[in-house]
Amino acid sequence: MTAPGVEHVRIVEMSDITVAVVAGFCAGADFETVLGADLRIAGDGATFSAAGVADPVACARRLARLLGEARAKEIILGARTVDAAGALRRGLVTRVVPAAALDEMARALDDRLRALPPLALRAVRDAVRAARELTPLDALALEHEHFRRLVTTQDHKAAVAAFFERREPAFTGQ
Amino acid sequence: MTGSNAHTRWWTDGAVGVIVLDNPPMNVLSDDNRRGIREALAEFHDRGAAAVVLTGAGERAFCGGADLKEEGELTTETVDRFLQRGDETFRALREYERPIVAAVNGWAMGGGLVLALWCDLRVGSTRAKLGAVGVKVGLMASNVQLSRLLFEGRARDLLLTGRTVEADEAHRLGLLSSVVPPEQLMPEALAWARDIAAQPPDVVTALKRAVNTALDPVVTASAR
Repeated sequence: MTAPGVEHVRIVEMSDITVAVVAGFCAGADFETVLGADLRIAGDGATFSAAGVADPVACARRLARLLGEARAKEIILGARTVDAAGALRRGLVTRVVPAAALDEMARALDDRLRALPPLALRAVRDAVRAARELTPLDALALEHEHFRRLVTTQDHKAAVAAFFERREPAFTGQ
Repeated sequence: MTGSNAHTRWWTDGAVGVIVLDNPPMNVLSDDNRRGIREALAEFHDRGAAAVVLTGAGERAFCGGADLKEEGELTTETVDRFLQRGDETFRALREYERPIVAAVNGWAMGGGLVLALWCDLRVGSTRAKLGAVGVKVGLMASNVQLSRLLFEGRARDLLLTGRTVEADEAHRLGLLSSVVPPEQLMPEALAWARDIAAQPPDVVTALKRAVNTALDPVVTASAR
């Protein structure tokens, strides 16, 4: 994770997961970048608008996938500026805290992601990214393909052993 | 009508079939309760049950998911059979012609969450807790279901963090249709099931099938 900055919109990589951390006004190219992240969190002063995006069609598709048709149209066709509470209610971000606590929340999320086995985390990320292009049966087949590989990893065995020994697991990414 | 095996009990209550996963405290998935679900649904089908309620015994869990010990011992030779047994059960719920209501009385985690998500409706007690915990043990589960029930923004949050979703949040997200005190959970689930049972059966069957396939890509003549 990069050092906290003063930017209104930051894209932070945490354990290969891209997280958009939004503190202020987010529109245009920033908005497009934020939609491309895996996760989105915000401070209570954040606002979101699709105004000024370079590729409105791609933006509309992405929004519809993230929020559903009704809410996507509200934002992109209704030209609404959405505040942090509205973004949380619509699922555009999944966590909102007071602006002063935003860096702390980003650190907590980073800690949480770091505590997860990296191979599984990457597999879930890849499967979720791929799912939108697949039929449900193909998506299930892909999920099973990942599962078959993951059950043989040392990290899975380590997680199970730690569970039965009532301690925190240590993951090696193997 | 009643039936049971070592880990499952089922019976009919008027037009509604009830299945209880009965190996508390966590009601982990076992061969017995996976088979029990399929046998119960087959019997409900023969008796023309109009709707089904699925719940877990005890106060702690709806279903704790797969047996971690069993999962920890899986090898490349045994994993296919393991996935297949899970799929047979999940598909039986999804493809059953009548709606199935999950009464989520406690934890629904990992494969237990998959079970709840393949049901058509979910009502929960205030003790309900949902967790897509696969990632925490180095695996994955419920990707496909969560991506269909929620939009992607929220599905990613739950899947990538494996965090616990308490009953109130699950209600807000639409993963639970209602939340009631624990002692009112079965009456609530039965009320949903009886409302369904009061609808014209052929229409209900057609509607379940329609919604199941609504998000599938449509191959039209022009798109071929």
